[in-house]
Amino acid sequence: MSASAEILSHVNRLPAFPASAARLAALLDDERAGAPEVEKVIRPDPALTASLLRIAASAYFSPRNRPETVRQAVTLLGVKRTFEVASGAALASMIPARLPGYDLEARAFWLHCVAVAVFSERLAKEIGGRSPDLLFTAGLLHDIGKLVISAFVQRESPSILLKARAGMDFSAAEREVLGVDHAEVGAHVAATWHLPEPVAWAARWHHRPASAPQIADRSLVDLVHAADVLAISLGMGTDTGELARSVDSEAWARLGLNVRRMEAVASEGLQSVKELAAALGEAK
Amino acid sequence: MRLTALTVEISDMKVSSNPADMLITYALGSCIAVIVHDPVRKVGGMIHYMLPLSEISPEKAQEKPAMFADTGIPELFRSMYGMGCDKKNLVVKVAGGGALYDDKGLFNIGKRNYTVLRKMFWKAGVMISAEDVGGAKSRTARLWVGDGRCTIACQGQEVEL
Repeated sequence: MSASAEILSHVNRLPAFPASAARLAALLDDERAGAPEVEKVIRPDPALTASLLRIAASAYFSPRNRPETVRQAVTLLGVKRTFEVASGAALASMIPARLPGYDLEARAFWLHCVAVAVFSERLAKEIGGRSPDLLFTAGLLHDIGKLVISAFVQRESPSILLKARAGMDFSAAEREVLGVDHAEVGAHVAATWHLPEPVAWAARWHHRPASAPQIADRSLVDLVHAADVLAISLGMGTDTGELARSVDSEAWARLGLNVRRMEAVASEGLQSVKELAAALGEAK
Repeated sequence: MRLTALTVEISDMKVSSNPADMLITYALGSCIAVIVHDPVRKVGGMIHYMLPLSEISPEKAQEKPAMFADTGIPELFRSMYGMGCDKKNLVVKVAGGGALYDDKGLFNIGKRNYTVLRKMFWKAGVMISAEDVGGAKSRTARLWVGDGRCTIACQGQEVEL
């Protein structure tokens, strides 16, 4: 078996995505589903109930009202937002203590995921226009492939690091050495977990938005790419690759981004990243 | 004497006159740490600023002056003077200002952070005694308040600055 086939076969060994979060994902496609249906999924799951109430009470999700019951939280947030919160709690519960291939502790990985989710939404707001569906979740889960590929990256770490430090994008170095990178593996994880398409698109193309196919939501992929660049640059969840990642200039142009807009997003988003990483992280 | 590590978070600064303290800041990417030590008064200070200019958000600058070079660096020096330090004795070091691989130079926060710092120091007549800046690197900076020793850890190695 080739290295890449072996890595992809390990996707099936990941624990299943928590059942209630998966059921909420299914409800997203059901136009008739409203607060009562969502509540029915959440109530029997005490861990999810607790995380939902805690996260829904954060300033980021509810700047004005603090919901006290599941019904209030679901009514306030809506079906999509409730799923986004549940997917955050689900991911938090699945992160191992350490991702050895990336020399990354759980807390740092988590900080990075939350930073990309928050910055993606802030960027969408900064440039105006329609915010893509499930942008928060797509940002939060963009690196899920690392949960699978980490052990393999560790095995080949010296060769990958040599290339990355000589000027190659870290995920391109993963592809050269392992035949597959964390982004491609992430898309397989998203499919295995039956996560909504935007999550798979962001996972697959966040380092190479120019290669995303027509079918993918281009602006979503561009936003997650830019948010990832910002989070890496600011040292939020720095891993062994340090800053050895590429900036895609076409994504920049499509979004109408410039360095000042990025600075505005960094300055406005910093506090939310810290608060939300703490609130969502308690689900661990 | 037990060593105490004081962590300087992003957009934060710390000053100490306790010789048993070590100031440390992690994961400097495009952010910059200014590390100041007064060997006469045995005072050390460190800022980890994120952005060059506070004009981007004057409210945030009020709340967290250490977020920006133009509000944070003067605050750091004022705190040092407030602890009896003399400008002529200060040893100033700089680390960070890194960048991703970015052919077109679109996303140059690190460079902007560094340019603003150089301008401010030039105007104020502050000399940089050592620096480790730029590159696709993440750095961790340490300063031992007692003897002014300063190190930078990066790409798996820790060296004196």
